[in-house]
Amino acid sequence: MTRRLGNGLERGQAPRIALLVAAIAAIFAVDTVTNYAIAAAVFYVAVILLATRWMRPRSVVILASACGTLTVISFTLTHSGLYEVGIINTGISLVAIAVTTYLSLKLVAAEAAIHDARERLTRIARVTSLGELTASIAHEVNQPLAAVMTSAGACRRWLATDPPNIEKAERAAERIAAEASRASEVIARVRGLASGKSPIRAAFDLGTLVEEIVGLARGQIDRNDILLRLYLPEDLPRVFGDRVQIGQVIGNLLLNAIDAVMADPARGHEIEVIASLTQDGSSVALEVADSGVGFREQEAERLFDAFWTTKQDGIGLGLTISRAIVEANGGRIWAEESELDGAALLFTLPVAPVDGEEETGA
Amino acid sequence: MTDPESPIVYIVDDDGAVREALEDLLSSVALGSRSFASVQEFVGAAHADAPSCLVLDVRMPGHSGMAFLAHMAEGSIALPTVMITGHGDIAMSVRAMKDGAIEFLTKPFRDQDLLDAVNRGIEIDRARRAAAAETRHVRQLWEALSPGEREVARLVVRGLLNKQVAAELGLSEITVKVRRGNMMRKMEARTLPDLVRAFDRIHA
Repeated sequence: MTRRLGNGLERGQAPRIALLVAAIAAIFAVDTVTNYAIAAAVFYVAVILLATRWMRPRSVVILASACGTLTVISFTLTHSGLYEVGIINTGISLVAIAVTTYLSLKLVAAEAAIHDARERLTRIARVTSLGELTASIAHEVNQPLAAVMTSAGACRRWLATDPPNIEKAERAAERIAAEASRASEVIARVRGLASGKSPIRAAFDLGTLVEEIVGLARGQIDRNDILLRLYLPEDLPRVFGDRVQIGQVIGNLLLNAIDAVMADPARGHEIEVIASLTQDGSSVALEVADSGVGFREQEAERLFDAFWTTKQDGIGLGLTISRAIVEANGGRIWAEESELDGAALLFTLPVAPVDGEEETGA
Repeated sequence: MTDPESPIVYIVDDDGAVREALEDLLSSVALGSRSFASVQEFVGAAHADAPSCLVLDVRMPGHSGMAFLAHMAEGSIALPTVMITGHGDIAMSVRAMKDGAIEFLTKPFRDQDLLDAVNRGIEIDRARRAAAAETRHVRQLWEALSPGEREVARLVVRGLLNKQVAAELGLSEITVKVRRGNMMRKMEARTLPDLVRAFDRIHA
């Protein structure tokens, strides 16, 4: 409670004190001048109620005692009216002052306690979700790092055998490279989430970006015998957005699609990436469709929730981040069933203004 | 792997890359391994009759490794277990050790630390298996004794002399001597301490 009201009088207190003193003086004067029958001293209650808002509890108690004293002084100074009435009225006033002081101080204390509790709760909630987040990130990063270190150990041992097992060592080295890039992807994803900075938007060609990202994932696509079809019309207008961020989104959707078709070997291994102009011509839509396991209808709503995942080793942040990025770039993202019998993720980006050449904006 | 005494390491981790790396590391030091993506898969699989060690990930979808470790501590499977985790804290490691884990490693761990722990686990399991086999063997020997020989054995391990055994059982000292000789031979015990140890093993 002292924390709330500070040490001593706060700044800007002077007019308030003056007001209180004036009120007390007025009440004292009226109480003294009028006869016993008029219990003006009861109005000290109003002064005390005001004081609890502005002053420290101890000051309030001192003020209340002063008011009580003044009431008694008024009583001794007053000589008109019935003496018994005077006694009773003074008594009532004193009781009123005491009770009001007690109750209002209790109230202030309770309010302060509620305030404290609420503050603590908010802090706990924040710390807890941050803790969960860091635990997830730590898990996600340490997993590939464990594979890297373990593979490095294996690699060294394969080389140390007599004769060295080069083939095994090479395979371990490949695993090291793959897992290291997996770790750095996680970091990149988290950094994108954590920075939360507004995108640096400019006009760019979506088709070129798609081809670049596909190039990065080419190894994975070929290794898994996935048939990837790109439909990227050349006459599409340029879009307006943060090229790097949108690249992350495309990469994420593509990796999701790869994971989805790999999850069930019995299904076809097909992915389609289709760019098109929306009907009203204001945006370009990009669809990443796969022939994978898809999602159930009730899952569609949860797809974009944080920490929700259908993958065995995912943390469920990919689509959450993708949505944040797309929306920050003025687009929309949603999921549908794909014609390939799996899932289709679509997002839109606004078409760049005609004079928006390399223009940047928030 | 045909030699029943060649050890096997079970790996339970939901991360495919980690499983593959662990299998490769173990294979580079000539240790056989079998890996599983979940606790359920591991429980469902047949386990080899060989000294084994379990490498168990803490956090997995479905059954968590910690829950399984606690379950194992009170259940029938009792394998020396090395816990590995991507985000361990002290409380978790204390709990794991209390539940009988022989080591708690935080990913990424040093490969040598894991190999040391796994080898220690295999040695523990080997010793446990040897002790179990010895107990089984001694019990068979004990079952092969005649009732009279068992009576003699029970008194002898209490430190009684032949004369006292004879008095206790109401037999002649000669009979006791003969039964004692047969008993010692059948129990494969050359000295009294040998017999006492064997006796403790089955009556512990």
